[in-house]
Amino acid sequence: MEPLDRLENLASSLETVALNGFQAPTVDNGQKDNSPAEILRIKEQMSNQCFEMAVKLQAGKSKISSCSASDAEKDLPDYANTLEEAKIIHFNKTLALHRMQVWHAISEKLKQSDPEAVAMRGMTSCSLDLCSRIKTLQQESCALQDQITDLQKQRLDLKRLTHEKMKEMDELKRKREHPEAEKYRNVLQKGQSHLEKYQKMATITQNVLRGIIIASKVNWRDDPKLRDIAMTLEDIPISD
Amino acid sequence: MSLLKPFSKLPGLNTANILLVENEEQFQQKLADTVVLHEKNVNVNVRLARSLPLPMENEESRPRIDLVVFIIHLTSELSFQSAETSLKYLDPGYFLGKVCFLVTNARNASVPPERLVSVRKLAASLHCPLLCAEDQTTEGVTTAAHRLLAILKVAAGLVPMATGLYLSTFTRCTVPSDIDQQNFE
Repeated sequence: MEPLDRLENLASSLETVALNGFQAPTVDNGQKDNSPAEILRIKEQMSNQCFEMAVKLQAGKSKISSCSASDAEKDLPDYANTLEEAKIIHFNKTLALHRMQVWHAISEKLKQSDPEAVAMRGMTSCSLDLCSRIKTLQQESCALQDQITDLQKQRLDLKRLTHEKMKEMDELKRKREHPEAEKYRNVLQKGQSHLEKYQKMATITQNVLRGIIIASKVNWRDDPKLRDIAMTLEDIPISD
Repeated sequence: MSLLKPFSKLPGLNTANILLVENEEQFQQKLADTVVLHEKNVNVNVRLARSLPLPMENEESRPRIDLVVFIIHLTSELSFQSAETSLKYLDPGYFLGKVCFLVTNARNASVPPERLVSVRKLAASLHCPLLCAEDQTTEGVTTAAHRLLAILKVAAGLVPMATGLYLSTFTRCTVPSDIDQQNFE
C-alpha cells in the first residue's frame, strides 16, 4: 500500500497548490526563501501592479472630454460582462494548457528509464489494478442492488395481494351475517308482536278481575287464596 | 491642497499599505491589530489617521497607500461629516477601487435610519463598497479584518487576475430606488 500513500500525498499537495493558486504559504514574513515558486509569485504581483499603472497612464492620455457620467454608467455593466467573459475564457485556456503540459511531462517521463520513471510506472500499474478492481466491485454492487429492487417489488406485490384478500374476507363476513340476521330479525319481530298481544290481554283481564274484586266489596285480605291472587295482580306493570 | 495620490510612489515588494481614517480613533487600533495578526503571506502596514489631509511632515517617508478605509460610526453625526470633509483631500484616482467605507452600529435601534441611507447614497455615488462591521465582539472585529484584507490584497495588486477597478465593479454599493418607502415585500 506504500505507492498508494505516496499517491495520496502527491494528490493532496497538488490540490493545495491548485486551490491556493499563487498564494503559496511562506514560513515567515521576514524570511524570504528564494524558491522558484516564491519568485514566480512576486513576479506575478509586480506585473499586476505594472498593469494597473499602465491602465492609469492610458486613461490619463486619452481623456474623452465629451463623455458624460450617466452615459458611462449605462455602458458599465456591458463592459463588465464582456470583461468577465474574456477573463473566464482566458483562465480556462490557461488551465487546459497547464493540463496538457503536465500530461506531456508525465508521458515523457514514463518513456525514460531512471528510477523515478520506474517508480512512476509502478504507481500507474498499481492505480490501473485498483481501477479495474473498483470497476468489478461496482458491477457487483449494481447487480446486488438490482436483486434488492426485484425482491422489494415482489414484496410490494405480495402486500397488495394480501390487502385485497383481507378486503374480500371482510366483505364475505359482512354478507354472511346479513342473511342470517335477516331471518333472525324476522323471527324476533314476530315473537315480540305476539308477546305484546298476550301481555295486553293479560293486563286487561287482570284489570277486569281487580275491578270485580273491588266492586264486589269482598274482604280479600282474610281469605288466603283470594289474597294470593290479589298480590300477583300487582307484579305485572300496566302497559298502555 | 495636499491631495493623497495613489500612484505617485512605487509599490513595495510583497507589501500592502492600508490607511484607516476614523474621527473617534477607537475602532482603528483593534482593527489594525487584528489585520496585522491575520495576514501571514504579505507584509501589511496599517496607518491610522483621524482625518485627511495627512500631515506634511512625513510626506516623504510615507509609503504608497493602497486602500483608504473610512470608518463611520452611525451613532454620531460628527463621524459622517468628518469623513465627508476628508473625502475632498483624496485624489480622484483613489475612487477607482482603492476606497472603502466601513460602518459600525448599523443594527442599533437608536440610530436614525436616515444616516445609513445617506452613507449608502454617498458610497453609491462614489462607486465604493460599503461594509458593515460589529466592533464590540472579537468575532466582529475578525470578520471585518478578513474582509478588509481581501479588498486590500486586490487593491494592492497582489492577486493575479484582479485589480481594484475590476473588483469595484462588483462590490460597489447600490441604492435601491424606493429606499424611502422601506417595503418589506
